[in-house]
Amino acid sequence: MSNLLNKLSVRSPWLFRINAGSCNGCDVELATTALIPRFDVERFGCRYCGSPRHADVVLITGPVTLKMRDKVLKLWDEIPNPKVTVAVGICPISGGVFRDSYSLAEPLDHLIPVDVNVPGCPPRPQAILEGVVLAKKIWMRKLGIEEG
Amino acid sequence: MAGFLKVLLRNVLQGPSTDPYPLGPTFSPDSIRGKVVVDPTMCIGCGMCVHVCTAGAINIQHNENGHVITIYRNSCCLCANCHLYCPTGAITLTDDWHSAHEQAVKYQQIEQQHIDYEPCLGCGTPVRVMPLALVSKLYAGKPDVDPEHVRHLCPRCRQMEDAVRTYNLQHPEAPASGNDEA
Repeated sequence: MSNLLNKLSVRSPWLFRINAGSCNGCDVELATTALIPRFDVERFGCRYCGSPRHADVVLITGPVTLKMRDKVLKLWDEIPNPKVTVAVGICPISGGVFRDSYSLAEPLDHLIPVDVNVPGCPPRPQAILEGVVLAKKIWMRKLGIEEG
Repeated sequence: MAGFLKVLLRNVLQGPSTDPYPLGPTFSPDSIRGKVVVDPTMCIGCGMCVHVCTAGAINIQHNENGHVITIYRNSCCLCANCHLYCPTGAITLTDDWHSAHEQAVKYQQIEQQHIDYEPCLGCGTPVRVMPLALVSKLYAGKPDVDPEHVRHLCPRCRQMEDAVRTYNLQHPEAPASGNDEA
């Protein structure tokens, strides 16, 4: 039964965004990827959801600032397993231009397990789409269903 | 009503405006800034790119026999300052923007070039052989200079050669033969 449910729901991982202190550049690119018909992320069955409890793939932008660290961890904990974490932009990956700043916690992968990195400042919408498709593949692998 | 039909007809004729990527081909603007590459034949290891790099993504390690330039792509913010300030034009930004990768290969996202030094033809100390394009530009107005010879000299030996050539001197290390008559 659960396998059947998995197979039925497997086409549509829902996306959730966390802004961990981003400059909004990457968030604009994420909005672009989702909202305008040109890059249409809904072709892959993905859509943005408002609640972390509905999400399967989480896209995190921004260097994790000290103020946001606990909130990011709390939100991330609320997402049901199996979840796929995507770091969008160079900030969550390495700190980017803000690396070694007094107000940053640490790179995202020191705090939570990251699955996909999409570097860029900001990355192109197509690069983010690539990342989402890669995340979907990993998500299916975690569910035990290989993409046919 | 007529306006709606016009839009419908246009959409039927033109097809969807969605970019088919990643299921089909996409476009790249001419001015897009993608992954950074270093040309090892041109890099002289001056460190200007390290100085101007906004994100501190470039590292140059000097040792006795050469230098290693490393660019960490996961720190690079694609500002192209290195490309702008590189005095030899060794750093360029390609149009390759396919940057998404899995966590397992995170620390392999680097651009690294090893540049080996060669012994100076004059004194034997290891020197960075100057790029031929650079030497040809430097000595463009001097047909009596052999660029292939000059590029293998260390700065000191090059100065010496220049002085000898300019003032028609005897080379200090050459056997003194005609000095007695002078």
